[in-house]
Amino acid sequence: MDVATDQTPAGPLLALRGISKRFTGIRALDRVDLDVHAGELHVLFGENGAGKSTLINVVSGTFASDEGTMHFGGEEVRHLTPQRARAIGISPVFQEFSLVPSLTVEENLFLGREVTSGGVLHAREMRKRATALIDELGFDLDPSQRVDDLSRAHQQMAEIAKALLGRVRLLILDEPTASLTERETGRLFELIARLKNQDVGLIYVSHRMREIRALADRVTILRDGRHIRTLDAATSTDGELVELMTGRKIDLLYPTIMHKPDKVMVDVENLTLADGSVRDVNFHARAGEITGIAGLVGCGKSELIRAIYGIEPIVSGMVRIDGLPYEFPAPRRSLKHGIAYFPANRVAEGLALSRPIRENASMTVLDLPAFARFGVLRQAAERIKIQGVMEALQLRPPNIERTAGALSGGNRQKVMLGRALTRELTVFLFDEPSVGIDVGAKLEVYEFMKRLVEAGAAVIVVSSELPEVLALSKRLYVMHHGRIAAELADAEKTEQNVLASFFREHLVAEVA
Amino acid sequence: MSTIVTVGAPRGSISLRSIVGRIGFLPALLVALVVGMSAVDPQFYGLINILNILRNASLLAIVACGQALVIVAGGFDLSVGAVVALASVVTAKTMAATAAAFPGNTALIIASGVAAGLGSGLVVGLINGFCVAKLKVSGFVVTLGTMSATAGVGLMITSGIPVYGMPDVFVKGFGRAQLFGLPTAVYAALAVIAVMMFVQRRTLFGRYVYAIGGNVDAAVVSGVSIQRHIVGTYVISSVLAALTGILLTAQVGSGQASFGGDRMMLQSIAAAVIGGVSLRGGVGRVEIVAVSALFLTILGNALNLLHVDSRLQPVFLGIIMVAAVALDEFSRRSKARV
Amino acid sequence: MSDLELSMTSESTIPKKSFPTEWLWRAVLPIALIALLLGFAAVDRSVLSPGNLLNIAQQTSYLALFAMAQTVVILTRGFDLALGPAVSMVSVGTALAMAGATAAGHDPSTVLLAGLGAGFGLGIACGLFNGMVIALLGVNPFVATLGSYNVAIGVATTLSAGRPVQGVPELFSQLFYGGSIFGIPAAISITLVIGLVLHLMLGRTVFGRSLYIIGTNPRAAAVAGLPVKRILIATYVLCSTLAALGAIMMTARTGSGEPNLGGSLSLQAIAGAVVGGTSLAGGRGGVGTAVLGALFVTILSNGMNLTRIDGYIQMVVLGAIVIIGVLLDRLRLERRQ
Repeated sequence: MDVATDQTPAGPLLALRGISKRFTGIRALDRVDLDVHAGELHVLFGENGAGKSTLINVVSGTFASDEGTMHFGGEEVRHLTPQRARAIGISPVFQEFSLVPSLTVEENLFLGREVTSGGVLHAREMRKRATALIDELGFDLDPSQRVDDLSRAHQQMAEIAKALLGRVRLLILDEPTASLTERETGRLFELIARLKNQDVGLIYVSHRMREIRALADRVTILRDGRHIRTLDAATSTDGELVELMTGRKIDLLYPTIMHKPDKVMVDVENLTLADGSVRDVNFHARAGEITGIAGLVGCGKSELIRAIYGIEPIVSGMVRIDGLPYEFPAPRRSLKHGIAYFPANRVAEGLALSRPIRENASMTVLDLPAFARFGVLRQAAERIKIQGVMEALQLRPPNIERTAGALSGGNRQKVMLGRALTRELTVFLFDEPSVGIDVGAKLEVYEFMKRLVEAGAAVIVVSSELPEVLALSKRLYVMHHGRIAAELADAEKTEQNVLASFFREHLVAEVA
Repeated sequence: MSTIVTVGAPRGSISLRSIVGRIGFLPALLVALVVGMSAVDPQFYGLINILNILRNASLLAIVACGQALVIVAGGFDLSVGAVVALASVVTAKTMAATAAAFPGNTALIIASGVAAGLGSGLVVGLINGFCVAKLKVSGFVVTLGTMSATAGVGLMITSGIPVYGMPDVFVKGFGRAQLFGLPTAVYAALAVIAVMMFVQRRTLFGRYVYAIGGNVDAAVVSGVSIQRHIVGTYVISSVLAALTGILLTAQVGSGQASFGGDRMMLQSIAAAVIGGVSLRGGVGRVEIVAVSALFLTILGNALNLLHVDSRLQPVFLGIIMVAAVALDEFSRRSKARV
Repeated sequence: MSDLELSMTSESTIPKKSFPTEWLWRAVLPIALIALLLGFAAVDRSVLSPGNLLNIAQQTSYLALFAMAQTVVILTRGFDLALGPAVSMVSVGTALAMAGATAAGHDPSTVLLAGLGAGFGLGIACGLFNGMVIALLGVNPFVATLGSYNVAIGVATTLSAGRPVQGVPELFSQLFYGGSIFGIPAAISITLVIGLVLHLMLGRTVFGRSLYIIGTNPRAAAVAGLPVKRILIATYVLCSTLAALGAIMMTARTGSGEPNLGGSLSLQAIAGAVVGGTSLAGGRGGVGTAVLGALFVTILSNGMNLTRIDGYIQMVVLGAIVIIGVLLDRLRLERRQ
């Protein structure tokens, strides 16, 4: 990595003024200003959908802004393309990996910037430089390994290495620690400190207070595509940041839930999955309480509930539902057993976006006589039932004939919740229930869970948002590297304990 | 680190399996077929039969290399068979016309004919590439359309009658000639395979074709210009199909609109797919595709020698193709997601 | 409260704006159809003669049937390249079975049943093969049906030894070609009935609903507990069964089992479906789009025949039409988003 140190412009390294961006009628960015200085780490803070990722995509040339100006190193930049952005020293690390799975690490590092003469590649030169870069970063990556053979954490390292290849003046990191372990995170932080010393500017997107405290010089808060305020990290409090982000006091966010633990509804014994993402897991969930599962991205927590529902293959172990063994789970049979699953990725696994809301909400009940007899749909009954359900969930606007694709994230989640109200269910599996939805809708989702639990259902919540699972659950499991690292209840259920259990497990693995 | 420990164990067995799947099974089948046939029928290793196999395999391999490149980039080229026919009649017509205008100037006649033939391929390739890359119509539909249109143009030019009037040198001195005992088509195919191997492994273009087929979004974010390279794959595919058309014309001695056709198109896709080119894009090597073209040609030849009804032969081709893809899908699925 | 109203107005204005253009897009094909007819009529009056119109209707009824079959699988993001060869195979099989039964001295109704049994049996077998390879082995529909394309061609030419199979009884031709219901020729009435049944099936049954959902988002359909594999198999079986019916109707018309009957039908049927506005991306299309597309392709070739446009030029035109049809569809989708 060679870093430009020769010039130190008086003004900010990056200056955005009045940046706006619309996507088919939705205003993703509304006249946003942002300054990033050389040697500064600038945190972008905001909820999902606040415009953070649109903004970093504009800065890195993936999207063109509709209005506004961008200056970089004192010069105005127009018609930015990803290629030009890299050429002038802007390097993004995206959350969705920009790696080609079928190519090797080294081929990915140089993608778009290959060393060539006359269109012919200089493989040896690139190998040399890739090895040098990886050594300098201290990552244990093999440059000749194919990316699809790497773990998620290693892919993240490759992604970071890719961004640091060549002359870097502004590095953009979008939740870079999401899939890293404690030790890898530590190494990344050291690297960031070195880059700051070399006068590299950094834009850092994160939700994690701890990281913001450790790294940030300044924090810019975005909400609904608008620039709310830029604060000095040293003088601002956590409460202030969260309040600005959500536009309301934090303590309003989580409802008080009356847990009444009853019989064990879900009992998992020595469960191991075919892809190794979950190994020898024992856990149980009771009716009348919310059981939380926390852990880093890729720790196996979603795979665990997906396996119970029947969309991840199980190799060994036992699942009992309401005391009875449930073998070879499959979605259709799970629904018949009263188990429902609410996927984290509602676009990929939940909704048929170009179909009406009505069809999306009734997708799971087409086998019930109330909705179809002898394979023929009862359309009038369907319309009345779904209309009632969606009204109860306060779908806005309440027109169930619109396509699901026209809805906001929160309303999409409501359509998914609507499925829960159309048939008899006793076990609810929520996978990252608040991803991609605004605060108001979040609250409604939490209220919905509260009603389910208080009516005696068993609810399991998997979430990467630690405050969320901490606040909602009665008992909390912490998963790490495919295993249960801790089970915490009531008073032990604190952020410190959860983080400690990641760390403890890690030490054990290290010794082994 | 624990991730290394846990991921390391399955990875070893997977790579072993994928090596067997990728490289082992095709040559093994090929060897088994050759050994088996040699034992059953001595006619099989007769010189005439071997030359015949090599000539046909060469023609198929050239088309299949182009097809493979398009599929690696995530597309499809259904028009290759029609381009073979078009290039054949365009070459023959041009030669006949030039011969009438400049009698005796053999070099000019051949050069103009070959240039026109390759040029017709270039035009079809550019149309395909333009429609796919710029107009963003699916490659399947575009090449389905140009297949029909190209075949129509070829028939229109000739009214379906073979075109004669090519110089003797072109037919006897090139098309039917042998160099060191091998037909010229074999050398042409070897040259094409060598160049394409170089393109795939050592050039920017080859690298970008893999990247685009492997993950378009990543390629865009990394600043790879997508459209140019997609147009490039379709152009190469069509030009290689045109080259096959010219070789076929020189060998037969006339330009015919019935060359190539659906059969050549289907075989080129079969060769690519059996040769490990993934229909999901991003994966595939031309040299294995060439081996698979050889395998398919020998298989057809073996069935002939064994007096299997030639009408029944497509059945074998169909089943083998489906089995190859099913196997590929199976190994992909059993590969653990990390 | 004001928040709620705000969101209502901002969200509900989007579909309203696009309504006129949406209607315009839908009207493109019917208008083009009429323009095409009038254009050809300007060159040759006989295009609009009652005889020719009936002829067009009859020709359309075969292609519409195949386009509907193709549409059903395209709805699920698949397609069936083997449709044409399956038609050839069914034609040969039906004729052979009836010729054999006649030679064995069976009575006409048994002969007929033998023919239909063989025809539909071969069709269903082909559909089962396609569906199982695609749904259970996870093979790409393109390769799977390319495989069965080859198999069906092989079977058809082998069974018939490459020659037309004679011995199709008069009763069979009468029933599926010569006859008429309420004065409507058999081919047209059969297609009308099938079209109506299919239309109801797509709109009003769990199976039909599932096709659209699977085509729009197969992963979501599986997570929602729809029996995706079973439905996919059933879809390919339905497609091949419809193709078999079309093959039987065409065999009745030609009066013999033809090993080349299917010829370019796979592509024509895909062209018909796609020109009519069925999306290759899945989840969009229906009986209406299939019939419109088939009508368009038929009128185009009928008009070009009558105005003596070279058959080879017709191939070029058909190729261009397919590309333009899909291009328009893409533009329309973009406009809507």
